[in-house]
Amino acid sequence: MRRAPFALLLGLAGLLPTAARADLVYVLNSADASISVIESSTRQEVRRIPVLREPHHLILSPDRTELMIGDSAGNEMIYVDPTSAEVTRREKFSNPYHMELSPDGRLLVVTSLRRDQVDIYDAATRTLQARLRVPDKPSHLAYTPDSRIAFVTLQGARGLMAIDLATAKPLWTTEVGPQPAGVTWHNGKLLVGIMGADTVAVVNPADGKVERTIQAGRGAHTVFASPDRKTLYVNSRVDSRITVLDGETLEPKASWPLPGGPDCIAFDPQGRLWVTLRWIARVAVVDPATGAAETFPVGRSPHGIYVAPRAEPLPPLTISETVPPPAEVTPAAAEAAPPAQQPAVFRRLWSR
Amino acid sequence: MSWIADLYAELTGWLFEHLLQPLLYAIGAMDYAEDAYAWLDFALFGLLGIAVVVLVCRPLEAWRPVEPVTDRRAIRTDMLYTVLSRLGLLPLLAFVLLSSAQAAWEGWLTEAGLLPPTLEELVPALRDHPLLAFACYVVILDFAEYWRHRAQHGFRWWWALHAIHHAQRQMTFWTDDRNHVLDDVIAAVWFGAIALLIGVPPGQFPLIALVLRFAESLSHANVRLDYGRVGERLLVSPRFHRMHHAPVSAGQHGKNFAVLLPVWDWVFGTADWKRGEFLPTGTPEEPEVLATGGWWRQQLVGLRRMAGALAGR
Repeated sequence: MRRAPFALLLGLAGLLPTAARADLVYVLNSADASISVIESSTRQEVRRIPVLREPHHLILSPDRTELMIGDSAGNEMIYVDPTSAEVTRREKFSNPYHMELSPDGRLLVVTSLRRDQVDIYDAATRTLQARLRVPDKPSHLAYTPDSRIAFVTLQGARGLMAIDLATAKPLWTTEVGPQPAGVTWHNGKLLVGIMGADTVAVVNPADGKVERTIQAGRGAHTVFASPDRKTLYVNSRVDSRITVLDGETLEPKASWPLPGGPDCIAFDPQGRLWVTLRWIARVAVVDPATGAAETFPVGRSPHGIYVAPRAEPLPPLTISETVPPPAEVTPAAAEAAPPAQQPAVFRRLWSR
Repeated sequence: MSWIADLYAELTGWLFEHLLQPLLYAIGAMDYAEDAYAWLDFALFGLLGIAVVVLVCRPLEAWRPVEPVTDRRAIRTDMLYTVLSRLGLLPLLAFVLLSSAQAAWEGWLTEAGLLPPTLEELVPALRDHPLLAFACYVVILDFAEYWRHRAQHGFRWWWALHAIHHAQRQMTFWTDDRNHVLDDVIAAVWFGAIALLIGVPPGQFPLIALVLRFAESLSHANVRLDYGRVGERLLVSPRFHRMHHAPVSAGQHGKNFAVLLPVWDWVFGTADWKRGEFLPTGTPEEPEVLATGGWWRQQLVGLRRMAGALAGR
């Protein structure tokens, strides 16, 4: 009994292990035409959601109750309840590659990488408001905080384009470097990953001029801000690492090797980084304090990723992977083993 | 099975990160990284395809050969054709080029307010039955191959090229790839265009090509093998396809055109079901160089004859 007050003290100090979380991690397997739903505590795949062709990016819906997952080659938007991993509906949608809601939640801008189009939708109704024909390979996008301008990287044209969302007309297009990929708004500047080089370009959003560059390893791809925006993480495809930048000064603080081609990053409630590794069909979980990483397998060419907070494990499926879980769960099914892993190209067939 | 998946992912990951990606970076083509990564599957499946065909067909040919091997030089020429064809990456090039064309075409369509459908959208039941969807794609592509093959025999200029394939008198499983380069290009464009038109998922493309090419190689094997009364009508056998390579089936008189499923010959009246007949192969009416000449000579003569046919000579 003497230990009880001590344990209480430790618990209050946050030193006792807290109850295990069971967050759901959604991983878009772009070359497997599927979505892996992973339970964060066990790293086991608890669901595999089939899609038509190539899921790449995902966002929360304007009311934040659904995940909107773009299947670019399948011309489809898939809506998933993030808490239950159930597909709620599918919508015909033109080539949704990268997409973001405007900060005011009114607009949804979508880039169609392979069609050289940028589409502006009303976010609530997904009514197309404007379609812009743009130079080669519009890749990623970002907004000004006032939602008046969207910025799109043009991967095949070394460019960055600013689009006035009121008129749906380009304001300017400038050259920022070879094969620009991700673009992020941060402290009044645009940070553009220059994938054909080893730098992040710091761009003035007023005129598109590159003000300075930051070394970040060859194949610099996208800049992700930590939830408190005090730290920035840059993934580099060719040197395969994450460069940690100070959010204020943009100076590199650390560099973490991460083999496998790091791509999208999501943060869990504990602040850990969940990183898709495109070329080795795995996801890395990275400790932000040390950079130490552990990895686990998912589908082929994993791209977009999202962590949905959840306290209790998801009930197992009773019938098949592709059928939403029924209301009642049998005890036998509760003991079912996690889905078996198969070679990628075969898994692709089974899982579609 | 998980260790196979892991091993495959590690292998392709290593190859991509250490060989392909540095090359793309060096030549300023990082925007093609995802295409190159997809191509790795294709290349590895090409190599795997050759290995599987040799492992299956070689013992079969040793077991019950139709005819003795008297001309090893002719077989070596076919082996050269195989290596050039499968490492020549022609289907891949066609697919990549057509992907760009498809992007432009779909861009235009969406601007016109239309979205191209996929087979699964037209037949929603296929969404939940991936193996069935895969089978549908194979059947459609096999049907397209049947008609390409009919055209190869039907047009004089095209037969001038395709005759190289038929001239082989020492037919073995290596003969499958014995095609004029131009004939290969046309075939690749045709196959790739149909695949894109019906929306074949890029990830399935290598596997479909692997299945069809395995069937084609086996059907050329020098083995006394038929699949029985029923089986002959379900799958193209070495017996069925040997009939197609007999002199009586040259040019416009062709029989048994099917690649995988004989049903097309059945439906369109070009089937010959005479089981037990294993005829000699070759095209006695064509120049001897097409049968016994080297690779270069055959390419040159093929082009010349095609030009002649086009000019009406």
